[in-house]
Amino acid sequence: MNRVRLKVNGQEHEIEVESCTLLVHAIREDVGLTGTHVGCLTGDCGACTVLVDGASVKSCSVFAVSADGAEITTIEGLAGDEGLHPVQQAFWDEFAFQCGYCLPGMLLTTCELLDRDQDPDDAAIDQAINGNLCRCTGYASIRSAVRRAATRMAAGDPDALPESQRSESPSAEPPPSA
Amino acid sequence: MTAVTSADVVVTGPAIGSSARKEGGDTLLTGRGRFVDDYTLPGMRYAAVVRSEVPHARILRVDVREAEQSPGVALVLTGESAAAHAGPIPHFIDPAARGGRYTDVRCLAVGKVVYAGQPVAAVVADTRRQAEAAAELVRVEYEPLPHVLDGDDALAADAPLLYEEWPDNVVLHNHYGTGDVDAALESADLVISDTIRIARSTTAPIEPRGYLASWDRLDETLTVYGSLQNPHQLRWMVANSLGLDETAIHVITARVGGSFGLKMQGHPEETLVCLLSKLTGAPVKWIEDRREAFMAGAREQVHRFTVGAMRDGRIVGIRDQIVANTGAVSAQAGWAMPNMSATTLASGYTVPNVQAELHVVVTNKPPLNAARGFGKDSAHFVMERVVDLVARGLGLDPAEVRRTNFIPAGQFPYRTATGLNIDSGDFPGLLDKALAALDYDALRKRQADLRTEGRHLGVGLAFELTPESADGPGSFVSGFDVTTVRMTMTGKVTVYTGVTTPGGGNDTGIAQIVSDELGVPMSWITVVQGDTERCPGGFGNFSGRGMVTGGGSAALAARDVRAKIATVGARMLAVPVDEVEVAHGYVRAVGDGRTVPIPEVAAAVVTRAFAIANEVEPVLEATRAYKPGNIDHVPDERGRIQPYPTYSSCLHAAVVEVDAETGQTKLLDFVMVHDCGTIINPALVEGQAYGAIVMGIGAGLTERLVHDAQGRLASDRFKSYLLPRAGDLPTIRLEHQVTPSPFTMYGNKGAGEAGVGGAQAAVANAIEDALAPFGVTVREVPLPPPAVLALIDEARTK
Repeated sequence: MNRVRLKVNGQEHEIEVESCTLLVHAIREDVGLTGTHVGCLTGDCGACTVLVDGASVKSCSVFAVSADGAEITTIEGLAGDEGLHPVQQAFWDEFAFQCGYCLPGMLLTTCELLDRDQDPDDAAIDQAINGNLCRCTGYASIRSAVRRAATRMAAGDPDALPESQRSESPSAEPPPSA
Repeated sequence: MTAVTSADVVVTGPAIGSSARKEGGDTLLTGRGRFVDDYTLPGMRYAAVVRSEVPHARILRVDVREAEQSPGVALVLTGESAAAHAGPIPHFIDPAARGGRYTDVRCLAVGKVVYAGQPVAAVVADTRRQAEAAAELVRVEYEPLPHVLDGDDALAADAPLLYEEWPDNVVLHNHYGTGDVDAALESADLVISDTIRIARSTTAPIEPRGYLASWDRLDETLTVYGSLQNPHQLRWMVANSLGLDETAIHVITARVGGSFGLKMQGHPEETLVCLLSKLTGAPVKWIEDRREAFMAGAREQVHRFTVGAMRDGRIVGIRDQIVANTGAVSAQAGWAMPNMSATTLASGYTVPNVQAELHVVVTNKPPLNAARGFGKDSAHFVMERVVDLVARGLGLDPAEVRRTNFIPAGQFPYRTATGLNIDSGDFPGLLDKALAALDYDALRKRQADLRTEGRHLGVGLAFELTPESADGPGSFVSGFDVTTVRMTMTGKVTVYTGVTTPGGGNDTGIAQIVSDELGVPMSWITVVQGDTERCPGGFGNFSGRGMVTGGGSAALAARDVRAKIATVGARMLAVPVDEVEVAHGYVRAVGDGRTVPIPEVAAAVVTRAFAIANEVEPVLEATRAYKPGNIDHVPDERGRIQPYPTYSSCLHAAVVEVDAETGQTKLLDFVMVHDCGTIINPALVEGQAYGAIVMGIGAGLTERLVHDAQGRLASDRFKSYLLPRAGDLPTIRLEHQVTPSPFTMYGNKGAGEAGVGGAQAAVANAIEDALAPFGVTVREVPLPPPAVLALIDEARTK
């Protein structure tokens, strides 16, 4: 077993993992954040995407030990006390997800894109999300959401939303009733 | 009582028809949606499935000794030992009930295997990795049998038999249609015969299947969490196969990460995981891996057709012989899909003489599983190819041949030659809108100009008719559903419905309906789905039924609750009940605008039951079923039945440029004009349509499940099975047309299935059109670059 230190969404975690433990499994099972999803384990679908030191990484293709000491952002780390991140808001407003399984990858990939390119054109958006599969939306609404998020963030108005929506805190689902 | 003035009432418009944002979207956006793999229970163990590596063989011996000694292993179960505890899995649709053949399907193979990938044994261990490692140590000794992978080959007299109790490899053989096709072909100016092949593709939701079962040894009850479409059917199936009382089983549907038919019930792992939990006394989780998910086929058919048409483009007769390769038999509903391919043939066209003969054939491939389109997609692919071939043969414009043959807008309900009673529509209207959106004449001119430069632009049209909200007598394909609406004494509303959502958003649509019918804001409403203990008995998700049956029953239940709120609210306002309206959380006196908040009325119903609410039954809850019209199972004089209340329709137009040197197809534009009747939530309908279109584009261009000569899956990952990615697609344009159904609650029709077959046909037609200078004929999908190059080569060598 290996001792690995990860700073996940600003919080320090020290976990014990096997050498072969994938980062996605460490995040889901050892850190306990299940918002990062497993879709293929072959690096093709992107549902497991997280940010490792600011760069998008398919966490199924990385060993947990190789991320020792890294700062990791997962889907759970995007919303702040003030509410949803503008990228999250844009995805909701634009119907840019249905089942939500690919969302962690789409959101974090978008965050990374907008971090380096505040005004991406469609080609840049496509290039960014080409590594993330979505089977529900056909991608058009995702492109729209990325553009809307870019516009909002450029306007410096991260929560350009009706008051009623901003004040609502996200509702957690009930735990399993077992 | 604090009646307030109308000035205090915040009035918004009706919820129905608005693009309300997705219910609970924030839960998913913040990573707190609970999918099946996110559930953990104390003492939980993990299962791995040992699968056959051969396509057809007798099982001589299963040696589990080494696996049992492997670290962390609690149980290794073989087919023989499973059969001692579990009976066959009941069929979702029993082939025998449809005039076909029955065979036992078990959770683990007993005696022999009939496809590579079939579950042969299972391992339960403390961790998933331990279970998978131990599964590798199970030794299975096989005596190979001859196998058959192709549908035509399986029909040969000397073909190996999959099920030895059957005389041949045919699950279902049936004839469809009416009229005198021979005479029609005799009279026709143009007769074309050809063969069309639709390759095996798959649904591939991003979340694979998964189940977590927990047997309680003390209570002798079973709790099952799963990524499911049909929780009540699952409860019945597991009760049957494990010999349990249905009431001892509680099924809870986790959030579903896409399904598209794949997660309808009848999979062997459902019974298996429940049995493993019962035998080990521990909660057992099994999550399918991607390789396993790729085994599920969605469609695979060969059509040998003859069509006759008159010089003006009128199609007078079609004969179609269909061989559908369903793979091995599964208890899931996939085998039944080709039935709808035959029934939907001739689609929205007035073809008077149609004869289809269908053989649904078993082979040593993995089973077909239910898939969006449910066989209707293949009917559209064939029919739309046929229309284009007729247009080409007569030198007519394909748009005009469609117009010539469409059922005229004034002739509904229209009974087709195969018996479908199409409720409503305006198919020429769809075509007009699509051609306008394309600027069709200008596009044809541009095509001609580009051809002079040696460039190959193509335009493909395809019409699609989608029978929705099916009812199959004697099966769990039910045309009705049930919803409970319950209001608390604070006015909050919980809706418990028998329909489930695979992620598309019918919960949002149902909340919109309840909001309007009950007169409360959307934010007061919670929708609960997929829980057999909380929701009324219903049928889940399939056949575009969510809003027709779930929405209809929710409306009826909401109206019952509203009636009580109106009665007591009117008394509180001291006006007759027919002089109040209930909306936006208030009961309002129409005359003077005074209002009373619904929470105060709800509290009065419960706390003043012998006073102001006297004679009103003090329960703010109603459970109602909704049965749409137009379903008719009494055969007509020609033996035709009518299992669908309503028919959505759409017209697709694809514009492609094909590189004749590389075979690469670039999709430049895609338009769909969609008619699902009254729209409850436009954004949700559009989202469903976009997804279905892209699935059809994938099945038309790149998606193909490939098996090697030994029936083993070669395309077992997203690197070898190519889903469309963002960069492959233009921005799809969607337009609506609304012709309400006379047979459903709001005139709404099904949405969500329409798109696959039409898009598949539109891109194929566009490629043929692009390559018209070479004279190619598309006879098979998908059309990846090598297939396109082969088409050009074939045409050149002719």
